[in-house]
Amino acid sequence: MRQDGQTSLAAGFLGLPSARSVRGSLARKVSLALVSILVFTLLLAAFFAYYKFESVYSSLVQSRYSFVVFTVKKKVEDSLNLGLALRQLRQVQEIIEREKARDSQILSIQVYDAQGEVLFDTDRGAIGTFVGSGLVDAAKASSAQSFGATDDDMLIVGLPLVNTLGKVEGGILLRYPQAYVEHGVGGLLIQLSRTTAELLAVFSVLAVAGLYILFGRVSRKLGSMERTLGTVLSEGGQAVPEAGGDPFEERFAEFVTKSREATDHIREATEEIGRLDRLA
Amino acid sequence: MKGALLRLAILGLAVVMLAGNAVAAEPAAKPYRIYMALWRGWEDAAQGFKDYFINQNIPVELIIRDAAQDKDKLKEFIAEAKQLKVDLVFTWGTTVTEEMLGRWDASDPQSYIRDIPAVFAIVSQPVGGVVPSLESSGRNITGTTYLVPMETQVNLIQSYRHITRLGVVYNPLERNSRVAIDELSAIGARSGFEVASAAVEVVDGKPLAASIAGKVAGLKAAGIDFLYIPPDTFLNVSRDILTGAALEQGIPSFAVGENAVVTSKAMFGGVYRYYTVGQLTAYKAEQILVHKIKPEAIPIDAPKRLSILINMPVVRHLKLYPPMKLLELAEIIDPAEGKRP
Amino acid sequence: MTLDRTRPLFVRLLLLAFMVLVPPVGLLTYDALGEFSKGLVPELDKKAETVGRDLAASIERAVGYGIPVDHLVGMDEFFTPVLRSNPEIRYLAVTNRDGRILYLTGARREVLEPFYAVADFDDDAERVRKSNLGDFVDLAQPISGKNGRVGHLHVGIDDGFVRGRLMEIVIDIAVVTLGALLVAVEILLFVVLVNVIGPMREVGMVIDRVRRGDFSHVSGSGSDDEVGHFVSGFNAALRYCDDLFRRLEDYIDEVKAAHFDKSVVERVGEIEARVRFLFRFSRQGQPDVITERQAADIRLPLFLFVFAEEMSRSFIPLYIRDLSVPIPGLSPDLVMALPIALFMLLIAVVSPSAALAASRLGSRRIFLMGLVPATMGFVLSAWAYSVYDFMLWRGITAIGYAMVTMACQSYIAQISKQERRAQGLGVYVGAVLTASICGTGIGGVLAERVGYRPTFVVAAVLAVIAGMLIYRLLDTPQVSEQRSSPHLRQYLGLLRNWRFSALILFAAIPSKIALTGAFFFLLPLTLMLDTAVDLGDVARIMMIYPIVVVTLSPLAARLADRTGWKAGLVALGGVIGGMALVTPLIENSPQMLALGVVLLGVSHGLSASPQLAMIPDVCWTECRNIGQTNVLAFLRFAERLGSFIGPLLAAAFLPFFGYYDSIVAVGAISLGLSLIFVVLSFAYGSGPHIEAELME
Repeated sequence: MRQDGQTSLAAGFLGLPSARSVRGSLARKVSLALVSILVFTLLLAAFFAYYKFESVYSSLVQSRYSFVVFTVKKKVEDSLNLGLALRQLRQVQEIIEREKARDSQILSIQVYDAQGEVLFDTDRGAIGTFVGSGLVDAAKASSAQSFGATDDDMLIVGLPLVNTLGKVEGGILLRYPQAYVEHGVGGLLIQLSRTTAELLAVFSVLAVAGLYILFGRVSRKLGSMERTLGTVLSEGGQAVPEAGGDPFEERFAEFVTKSREATDHIREATEEIGRLDRLA
Repeated sequence: MKGALLRLAILGLAVVMLAGNAVAAEPAAKPYRIYMALWRGWEDAAQGFKDYFINQNIPVELIIRDAAQDKDKLKEFIAEAKQLKVDLVFTWGTTVTEEMLGRWDASDPQSYIRDIPAVFAIVSQPVGGVVPSLESSGRNITGTTYLVPMETQVNLIQSYRHITRLGVVYNPLERNSRVAIDELSAIGARSGFEVASAAVEVVDGKPLAASIAGKVAGLKAAGIDFLYIPPDTFLNVSRDILTGAALEQGIPSFAVGENAVVTSKAMFGGVYRYYTVGQLTAYKAEQILVHKIKPEAIPIDAPKRLSILINMPVVRHLKLYPPMKLLELAEIIDPAEGKRP
Repeated sequence: MTLDRTRPLFVRLLLLAFMVLVPPVGLLTYDALGEFSKGLVPELDKKAETVGRDLAASIERAVGYGIPVDHLVGMDEFFTPVLRSNPEIRYLAVTNRDGRILYLTGARREVLEPFYAVADFDDDAERVRKSNLGDFVDLAQPISGKNGRVGHLHVGIDDGFVRGRLMEIVIDIAVVTLGALLVAVEILLFVVLVNVIGPMREVGMVIDRVRRGDFSHVSGSGSDDEVGHFVSGFNAALRYCDDLFRRLEDYIDEVKAAHFDKSVVERVGEIEARVRFLFRFSRQGQPDVITERQAADIRLPLFLFVFAEEMSRSFIPLYIRDLSVPIPGLSPDLVMALPIALFMLLIAVVSPSAALAASRLGSRRIFLMGLVPATMGFVLSAWAYSVYDFMLWRGITAIGYAMVTMACQSYIAQISKQERRAQGLGVYVGAVLTASICGTGIGGVLAERVGYRPTFVVAAVLAVIAGMLIYRLLDTPQVSEQRSSPHLRQYLGLLRNWRFSALILFAAIPSKIALTGAFFFLLPLTLMLDTAVDLGDVARIMMIYPIVVVTLSPLAARLADRTGWKAGLVALGGVIGGMALVTPLIENSPQMLALGVVLLGVSHGLSASPQLAMIPDVCWTECRNIGQTNVLAFLRFAERLGSFIGPLLAAAFLPFFGYYDSIVAVGAISLGLSLIFVVLSFAYGSGPHIEAELME
């Protein structure tokens, strides 16, 4: 906006703090909102990406180990079908020890009966102990599918042993360290966090810069309207919207003019009354 | 393996306590008393029956009696079982079962065991004998069958190779053989194969083993692609001749009995092992004793899983190799590899 | 850029938001995908090796029995189940020592032959060889017989498996981004409205008064930012004028009272009259503060609240199934439907009184009061023990939901002047639908990751945030015009208008039956039948519905306005909605169900606004007698009964038809009723129907 009259500090006239002191606070507010949204979005996206990876990765690991368990199960069940009792299958100990030797990540493989008593275990010291009732029930509940569980920092994958009668005779458990999965997905977590942080930094700056530009224009416009108002009211003249001024600015110019008109008119009226008053 | 498992018949009174390591549930539970009436001594079915209770940690007290194929002893068994007030009676074989438990339509029920629940095993034709139907005995007994249904046998043969003509050499004196051939023909009509049968010659009222080879050759000429060996005492005795002839003619053979495959030259077979049947029978006993299910509510059936036997030397000779899946499921008999079940 | 209107500033802001939100998510995804495939490959290799070792062992066993490796039988039947249960393995093959393919399942011979032909399989190393064959990674495991190597077993890992998993991540993140963008829109809209547009609109109103010479009002006091500063300056100018006028007044009064010369007093009076004629100042001794409330003020709280409720949309039936305990005398399917039906019933029952309470006690109070049961409902649902108490918690949530939504509607109705009511309602519907998109999508994906129960906790937190936002909202002055609530008899009288009854029975109710019975209740359960479908997929499929509705609704509204073809659109929408649910007839597959969801969205997008727009025409007389608001409220009530019936109907079909066919059955009922409406719609005619009463 441009004033026809002389310029002076409008703010002084209005008795307000300088417009400079509030400059940018609008942009600050909106920045806060936008950057929060950015943080939220990126964290959520990273979270989902990570968890998806984690679930695919751990289910892949689990399916591999359940395949190992399945191999053992087939061998054990074949022997069961020959009519031997589970606890008599001495060769099972050999089978599970061979499978464990193949993969250093396997912590233990154990075979237990329907009561949960461990009959064979790669950790021979554990033979004769009992597995938790949860695992016994899990084996009974899932007559064909593998089941998973966690135990402290170990992951467990198990399969039930089913005899010719279709009855669950016990189960096989394979334990592998949770740390194995954590190690596998840990790299991604670090990488994701780093990327997220970098992107957050860069785009926060961009967001803030963009908002300062956007609201800078708003605030310049407001400032210029404010100055015009002050000038016109304190010193007179006319507010003429700049070329390309929007309808609001035109209306504001009218307002300024009308205000000036009103103050002028009231002043004149006051003076006139004063004259009349003094005249008498 | 047979030798390892087959125990000597235990005669006289033998009380076996099978407490096992009883778990928390019922540590001081009184063992169930089961009266086991056997026909030919202690064999695999009885062993499977007993082992089931050990494996399941069910405390039982087994009172084992062997009739040693003497029908007369069975009357004493009935009296003894009643007097001992046992919880359950186990009967082995058709004779023991029918003599002790009575036919389902018996007119003099008092002379059999009626109040004590009973399970039977190794009864070849329970329907129409001890029970009216397989769904329910309609009384205080249940049990197991041990013959592989014909349909299953045919499926097994078909899974080895597709057949268009199935050959059978049979003993005309054995009525059951005829029944089996009729049944096979009916299934063949449904699933698209023919049955070519040849009866063994009978001389002086006895089947002539020497005629077997010729019959097999005849069937070969008739274009059969598989030889079916029915369960028949005579054929079982002459199994080496029969399977040998088939092998010579290059015909693969399927046997319903274990012996033809394990100790002779039949190519493969499908059987329910007695041990498994014994276990299943024990499972039904468990239902009655532990889970308190009424025997008449427990259907009479066979084990779910068949034992498939493949005679590898014969396979190699015929160069007719089994499908991988069958190979995975089967028990391989291969003396050269030292592999015997 | 006009400061007192939303669009110009907001569009620029959105553009900026889009530019700073989408690229980083894209880059993050790209980075994650790279890491993902890098991390997955070694594990895939290990898996393939494990499977390969087992298969090779089986083949070696067969070979060990003397079966020549090129005479193995039934390899297809042997390989097929392995391929089926291990989706990451694409093919299995056996080659002989020369690299000739003996058996192959899962791929075409021509694809692999060239690779095997050139590969050197003749070394006797006992190790697994890994090679890249185009789209596959081939792991070759040696097979040995008695006399050494006889060939190789090949396990082919499909690159497509990794790609498929990557695609799932991309879709997950795309859903999150869409949700985040919509949330960003809501929040930015709120921030801009509260901080810029709202105050500037007030300034604009004051300006318009001043242009007419009216200096009686000032704008509301602003905040401490640029806009606040401007508003203060602006108000200061007005106060300055006002001050001048007051001083003039005082002076005039003084002169009038004290001056002895009558002619001077008369002249002064003339001057006073002239000033008063030209300008108007407040009579209160100081300018009044103008406050302009906007419908959009309530948008963010409403959005957050509906978001919270919609989070459980995709998994409620699944959660109920998990909690389900048999209730004697009721089929388990009915038990699953009960909480959903009860929820709908309570909303229907509570809404009218909630609306009344909101108009009496103020919207803010009812909103806040409604949040208490709603939040409690969410929290307790998270800790639900069985289906019984879950039903109770959902009931509580329903009461809260009815109160909150009615409070919002009442708020919008009170502050928007008659001509802007439609626009205000647009704000309401817009907030609900965007919340539905985000809530369903994000809630489902979240529940898949963290579980059902924690998701309910998140919902409760969102509800509390909504409460905090609404707390700062000033209450609207209560409308003095106490709408007299019509008697039940008058409501029932509405049903004598056949056009209205037909609209309810054959259009409004069938569409709600389809929505709650098939979409809310059966769809998640049916989709989950497919083992390949996870909860995230269910949520993604379900969020298609609000997306389609949100896109089509404005178009349909414009079309209805322009052509006046309202009954026709409603009829068309109804038929499409019925057809949406019979798609499983083509094929029982998640794809067909997804198509059904799209069609359902089309259906409701087409018919929702024309349905409401029909009311003034169809019930011209009734609207005059008992008020359009009440007629609409009655329509709402009636269609909510449809929502109540829907799940129960679906549950009743379940034992007979199973999942897919129950959807079809619900669809058939909905389609049948809609077809009746099609027939009737030809008799509707157009324009107001005054004769409705005369015909009686």
